Parts: sequence; structure tokens; C-alpha cells
Amino acid sequence: MLKKLAAFSKKFFFLNQEEHDPGLEAEEVDALRLTFKSRYHSFKLLLAANTRILEGMADIERALQGNESFSMSFVQTHCTAISVNVFRMINDMENIAPGKYTALKDSFVAIQKRIDALLGARKKIVDRRLVIPLEALNSDMTDLVGGKMANLGDIKNRLQMNVPPGFAITAAAHELFMQADGLQREIDRLFQVAGSDEDRNLDLVSSQIRQLIMAAEVPEAIYLAVVDAYSAMKAANQDQEIRMAVRSSAFGEDAANSSFAGQYRSELNVGFSQFFYYYKQVMASKYSVQAIAYKLSRGFRDEDIAMCVGCLAMIDAIAGGVIYTRNPLDSKDEAIYINSTWGLPKAVVDGNDLCDLFVVCRDDDLTILRREVQRKGFQVVCLEGEGCIRTETDDDLAVKPSLTDRQIRELADHAIRIEQYYETSQDIEWAIDVEGNVFILQSRPLQQMEAVLPGPELDLKRFEASLIVEGGINASPGVACGKVFKVAKKVDILQFPEGAVLVVDQALPTWAPLVARAAAVVSEQGGFAGHLANVAREFGIPAIFGVKGAMARMHNGDAVTVAADLGRVYLGNIGPLLEWTRPEPKLMLGSPVYESLAEVSRHIIPLHLLDPEARDFQPQNCRTFHDITRFIHEKSVVEMFNFGKDHSFSERSSKQLHYRVPMNWWILNLDDGFTHEIHGKYVKLDEIASIPMLAFWEGFAAIPWDGPPALDGKGMTSIMFRSTMNTALVAGVKSKYADRNYFMISRNYCTLSSRLGYHFSTMEAMVSERSGENYLGFKFKGGAADFERCLGRIHFIREILERYGFRATINGDNLNARIEGHDMAYMIGRLKILGYLTLHTRQLDMIMGNSALVGYYMNKLTRDIDSLLP
Amino acid sequence: MDKKQREFKVLLVDDEDVFREATARQLSVRGFIVLTAASGEAAVELVRNDPPEVVVLDQQMPGMHGSDTFIEIKKLDPLIEVIMLTGNTSVDNAIELMQMGTFDYLMKPINIDELLYKIEDAYTRKKLNEKQQREAGQ
Repeated sequence: MLKKLAAFSKKFFFLNQEEHDPGLEAEEVDALRLTFKSRYHSFKLLLAANTRILEGMADIERALQGNESFSMSFVQTHCTAISVNVFRMINDMENIAPGKYTALKDSFVAIQKRIDALLGARKKIVDRRLVIPLEALNSDMTDLVGGKMANLGDIKNRLQMNVPPGFAITAAAHELFMQADGLQREIDRLFQVAGSDEDRNLDLVSSQIRQLIMAAEVPEAIYLAVVDAYSAMKAANQDQEIRMAVRSSAFGEDAANSSFAGQYRSELNVGFSQFFYYYKQVMASKYSVQAIAYKLSRGFRDEDIAMCVGCLAMIDAIAGGVIYTRNPLDSKDEAIYINSTWGLPKAVVDGNDLCDLFVVCRDDDLTILRREVQRKGFQVVCLEGEGCIRTETDDDLAVKPSLTDRQIRELADHAIRIEQYYETSQDIEWAIDVEGNVFILQSRPLQQMEAVLPGPELDLKRFEASLIVEGGINASPGVACGKVFKVAKKVDILQFPEGAVLVVDQALPTWAPLVARAAAVVSEQGGFAGHLANVAREFGIPAIFGVKGAMARMHNGDAVTVAADLGRVYLGNIGPLLEWTRPEPKLMLGSPVYESLAEVSRHIIPLHLLDPEARDFQPQNCRTFHDITRFIHEKSVVEMFNFGKDHSFSERSSKQLHYRVPMNWWILNLDDGFTHEIHGKYVKLDEIASIPMLAFWEGFAAIPWDGPPALDGKGMTSIMFRSTMNTALVAGVKSKYADRNYFMISRNYCTLSSRLGYHFSTMEAMVSERSGENYLGFKFKGGAADFERCLGRIHFIREILERYGFRATINGDNLNARIEGHDMAYMIGRLKILGYLTLHTRQLDMIMGNSALVGYYMNKLTRDIDSLLP
Repeated sequence: MDKKQREFKVLLVDDEDVFREATARQLSVRGFIVLTAASGEAAVELVRNDPPEVVVLDQQMPGMHGSDTFIEIKKLDPLIEVIMLTGNTSVDNAIELMQMGTFDYLMKPINIDELLYKIEDAYTRKKLNEKQQREAGQ
């Protein structure tokens, strides 16, 4: 581009000898002025769109690092915003150069089609059955009824174990429900209107969506299918009414490595008269605050998750709980862990009470290795009518083991058979009814972690003075430190600071959204089988549960170190323990949302059109949106320069800067860059009205150049050698690379192509009251010394630019720096820096082999720059 | 751009009362003369009787949809510039609207400064188009 600009500007210079071109009538001049004004307006709009696109691409690149969670709405919004702005640039380019680059639209359409295909790809549900009885289910039907119900089908029909009778309401029913009356469309809209992932008020949007779902009518086809299935169950039960457990069986729920533990609603002991109310409650729970936060942090796409619903006859349990077929905290431990309590298993999974733990060996006798019988002060039981209640357990019963040895072995036997069937360790929910029958209520893959214990060389006695809490259950291993924040009420959630240690009385699933934001979790109640423990393990957050007195002994704001594997909390930051921290899992990597973004970004971000001088720099060769924007940006600058020549219109051609003497700086006024219309050859500095150019010039002229740096012998040799290879570098040889600098300006805009010494640089700036549209771009390339030294200078400049807030990248010997979105005063300061550097980095490539000189110049340059800034 | 230069009429069309009133207030504070309409039908009527320079138009409205309202407004005055607002992120939809000739497309929630810039740009574009049309007619 530089070479072309040089050529154009030379021509303008020679054209620029008269006030108006001979042969142009006054009306023609007016028409040309208006056309130029209109094109310049399009040029400005194009540049603003280009800035928004670059910002959007930077957001996508940041998201693809996988450190932060983002939703499908982020992907959709960014793709749409970028597409719209690329389209806008194409339209503006059409106004700047009518009919000249029409192939851009074809390239755009082709790229857009590829992106649409990726974003629109959805699994089609082929089986349209709305309700399927449990007898007909198996684990091949996960895509139809969700993992939970599909697995129960296996356990009942293939393993012949007891599972309560029931049926599943399918993914096809979910689709029918969500499409009726445009429900899903309205939900998508509410999500988007609620703002970006960070700013969104989750409570508000969650409540709006759940209200919509609760207000929706259940489509008649679903209603009739459910009534049929229930009637069949009732007929098999001597025509007695059956109370039901209505449970979520959503896609992704219960899959390996993503538990959705406790995120969705389950309603127990529901009479059929209330059934559809609770069916909708379960459907609505897909949008509970916990579920939205979880999906966001794990990268699930909302549209991928069909909320299937499992309906099972209620088991009035005398005991229930959760079996881990192996130790979740130690993948090498093969024992079976049975967590058990009186009443329904809900008390175990909700984590609000202590429960018994029985550890069983896999030997032939199923030897019971360990019994930890807790005081189970409360149990959850079915009410006579509907619903359940958490009730106090009699003192005598509370301290008794909730399982007999025979029951423990029977459960262990079930566990081993289920694990063998799935060929992977399992997390199994079970209940025992009044007649002593074991029922399996759920089975899903168990997440296991490697046990990491401190080496024997770590002397824990050293830290005993700081010990404040001891004796809890390791619910999720690891060590972390942070400031204590106690959460007692839901409203405390809003104030929870990122990176704090969450301290609670009960390990309730309600606190799940906080886990991903916490450094560690400490709870007075709960065991390692609860939902919250599952979530903590999934997110790699250390957690200690069952710590009596934690709420009293830990104080808000105190920095503490939580060592979950030791079941201890220490006051202060205990460095040697923290070295034992596990790496944070990058949960977004590989998730469906992440993969969607990664795939579409391949059609947006890569840049193939690198060299404007190359023959393939053509609109039809644009393969990504970045190619299109790069092409348009390049050509729009050239077209604006071309206007004067193409229309033989000297008013829009360049003037030579007169600053004390005529200088090698040529200036093209795009609009309001001069204080008044300039006739003749020269423009004086005080006739320039361009804010960015004046700022640049102020930096350029502020401190006189000391002249070339004192060369060391090697630097000189390097230049002499290159001069014999490249005549452009030899003084006195006429070259197209002679020092020439071209500005294109308006009041708020400035672009500069310059060659000073032996390097090229381009600078482009928009600086106005519109902070959001302000930007400053700087490119730098070349030098007289050898490649290594040129590269040395480029790194030198990058270091300085980064110190002052620029984002800078180096590709080959090209430096590319950018900054945007700041107010005028800030941008003016950065322009002064660029002006200063343009002059003062001249010939610095020559000293790049000498580290003492490099240090000297780094100090000098930063000192000078600091003196330029307010 | 100073306040005096901004004294032109902007019509804001959105069925959400809270959004419409709050946005109208913010635009008035910034020196625009703001007309409001709560439906597509009301907007078309207003354009017929008291044409604004720029229309900011919500796409999803009960009754006359934003796209239809856009077509009706353009029929009344092809030079009025229209900025579409939408809560829907569909790319197809956005590009279709741009192809139909909307000046720009903004996704909710909007940034009020961004809307302000767009309105100013749309106004400048309209004035340039009017001048060009006058010159072409001469």
C-alpha cells in the first residue's frame, strides 16, 4: 500500500498547482465536492465497522483461550455483530468505489453460508413418541429420554433389578412443548436482551423464563400420552392411584464428567391431579439460576439440552442413599462406598445432614472394611397426602446404623453388577422399602480423581499454631487460599466475592453457582456424596464438609488456607501447602459451546490476504471475514487517495507541509482536516485542524533527535554489507524508497504512511468525542541492519508500546500494535508516543547487538515519553 | 457535534414501554427531538403526518412487525434512515434487513452511546443523500 500511496501522492503534488482544474464548471466542482463528502462519510463508517470487527475478533480469541466461561448467546451475538459489520463495510466500499469490488459480496455470502451451517446444525429427533414406558427403555435411547431414564431402563430390563414402575416423557415432547406458541423463541430473546454473560442479571432472566414456562399450556398430545401411560400403571396396581416421583432426565445430565448435580428439579410424592404442574416445574428448572450458571461455566449449548422427564412410582423408603462403586477421591482405591441415611435418599444428596458411611471390599465375602455411623438427626419422609417433609429422627434411631450387614452386602452386590455392566465406576442412588426390597433410582458414571498427598518431607507441625478447623470430610481434594465469606441466606449470593472461601452451614445444591467462583468450600454439614461435593470435584475446587463449628470459628475477611485432603483449615496463606495445589481444570475446552465457537472462528479470524502487492490480493480470494475486512481497509484508503486523480480534481489532492521549511511530508485533506480551504502548494502546521495529526506531530517534534546512535563495529559492518545488496540503502542513490511521508486527515482522523531512515511505518487513528469508536493502529517494518537487528528493534519498540497500554504482535519482521476505546485525552497521549517513537527509533536497529546501548536507549526513550504525557 | 446541530427528529418505535420511555429520555437529554410510538401501525401514522429524519425501530412487535413497518416507512419516504433494534441474534435476519436497506442493525441490550452515534451517522447520511438527489434532479 505504501508504494501505491507514494505514487498517487506524487501525482497529486504535480496536479496541485491551480485552484481548480481547468475544464471543470462550478457545478461540476460542487458535485465532486459532494461526492467526495459522501464517500468520506462512508469511509468513516467503514473504519468504525472495522474497529468493531477487530474488537469482536479479539473477544473471540480471548474466549478461545478457554479460561473463561461463555454461552451460545456469546457465540451467536459475536458472529452476528461481526457479519453485520462486514456487510456494512462491503456496502460502504460500494459507495466509495461503485461497481469496482462486487466480488466481495459473493465471498461474503459463501463465508456466511459456512457459518450458518455450523450455527444452525441441530440434532433432529427422529423418534416422535412423546411418552415411553420404562419397560421399553434401554441405554441406547439416551437421545430420546435422557441418560437417567435410559440407564434405569437397562437396570430394570437387562440387569433385572428392582426399579419403580414408570415412564419417560421424551425429547420429542420437550420440542413440542417449547415450540408451541413460540416459547423457545421468546426464551432466546429474553436471554439476549438480558445482556452479555457477565452483566446478565441471572435471577431476573431465570425468573422471567420460568414464569413463561409455568404459564404455558401443556400441548394436548403430551397430555393424552401421559394420561395413557399413567392409566396403564394404575391398571397394573389394582386400579389404585399411584403417587409419583417426577424427575429431570435432561440431555447431558448424568454424563461422564458433567454431573449437573442437583441443578434440576425433582419433585417427590406427587399425586396425578398435580402431575402437570410439577412436569412444568421440572421443565422450568432447566432455567433455574443454578442450571444456567452451570451450563455457562461448563459450555453447554442451551439448544442441545432437551429436558426429558422421568416419572416413577414413589418408593416410601425406610432407608436410602448413594453408592460410589469406587472412591471418588482416589482412583486407586477399589473399595465400595455406601452412604446411607434413614428415610428417602434425598437427605444424602441434598447434603444438609450427616449420613452413615460403609466401606466394602470387593472380596468374595464382601467384607465390610469400615463403618462410620453418624448421628442422623433428621430424615426426609413421604407425607400422608402429597410431598415430603424433613423430620427429626428419634434419638434412639438417630444413632443406629441405617443398614444391616446383610443390606450392606446386598447393596454392594448390586453396585458391582451395575459397574460390571457399564464397565465403568458408578454413582448409584438407591432406596429400601418397608418390605426390605432394594430399588435402584439412578445410576451414572462416577467422576474419580487422583489422590494427591503431601510427601513425608512436609512437616505439618510447623503450621499447627495457625490451625483453626480440623476433622472435616474431604469432599473435594486440593489446597487453596482466599478470604472467608460466610453465606447463610440466598441474598448473600449476590455479594459473594470472586475467589473467596465459601463457608456454609449446610452443603445445599443452592450454593452450586458459587462453587465455580470460590477458592474453596467449607460446610458444617454434608458428606462427600452430596450434589455440592460433586460440583466442587467437577470444578476442581477444594471442599471440606462436616466441619462442626466452622461458621463460628471462621470470620469474614480472614485469609485462610483450606487443605481439603487433610480436612484442615489454617489461618493465613500457608505457602508450602499451596505448592500442593492442583492445576485448575479448563472446563470450557472441548465443551459443545467451545467447539461451536472454535469452528465458526475458522471462517472469521484467520488472515490469508497478507500482501497487498501480491497478485492474489483479490476480493474473490477472501476466505474469511478477516480477509474481507483487510482487503476493504487497504482498498478504501487507496480509493480515497485516488479520488482526486480519477476525477481530475485537484482540490482533493495533497499539499506539502511547511514547518519552518518545506518538509518531506504530504497531506491530503479528506474533509475538515484544514482550518480553511488551502489553495496552492503548501500547508502550514497552524492551518492543520486534525486532532490526531497534531498530537502525532507534537510527539514527533517535542524532543530533537540526537542523530544516529554511535555505531559499534558490527552494526556498521552489517549496514555496509546490506548496502551492497540493496542500493536503496546507499546514500545518494535515487530510490523510490527516499524519505517520504503521507498523511490523509480530517478533524478526527489521520492515517500516515511514512518512511524514515530505512523503515516503513503506517499509523491510523480515529480520535473524537466518541470514545467507543476511537482507535489507534500502528505498523512498523524493516530497517537497514541485518534481519536479527531489525527484529531486535521491533521487539524493543513492542516493549515500549506495551508499557503504554498497546496490544502488540510481531509476525516475521512486522510489528502490529493497536489500542482502542479510550477517551480523547488518552488517545492524544498515545499519538504523541507514536510521533516520538517514529523519529527517535531511527537507526536504532544498528545498536541492537549491544545490550548496554539497548538499555541506555530504553531508559532514555521511556524517560522522554513520560515527560510528554500529562 | 453540538446540541444545536442535533436538533432533528428521531422516531423511536418499541412496544416495551419501559425501554421506549427510558431510551427516549436518554436521547432527549442528548439534544434530540424524540417522537415515540408503541406499535408499527402508530409509527407509520406518525411518519405520514410528522416525518422524522431517523427512525429507530424494534423488530419484534406484536401487530405490524418491524420489517413490515420498515417497508411501509420507506414507501412513504425512501430517504428516511432506519436503524433496526432486535433481541434476536439470527444472522440471516440481520443480513436480510441490511439488504433491504436499513441503515444499521443494533442488538439489544443497546449501548446508548452507540445508538447515539448511529443516529448521528444516519442523519448525516440522509442529508448527503438528499443533497445528491437534489443535484441529480437539477
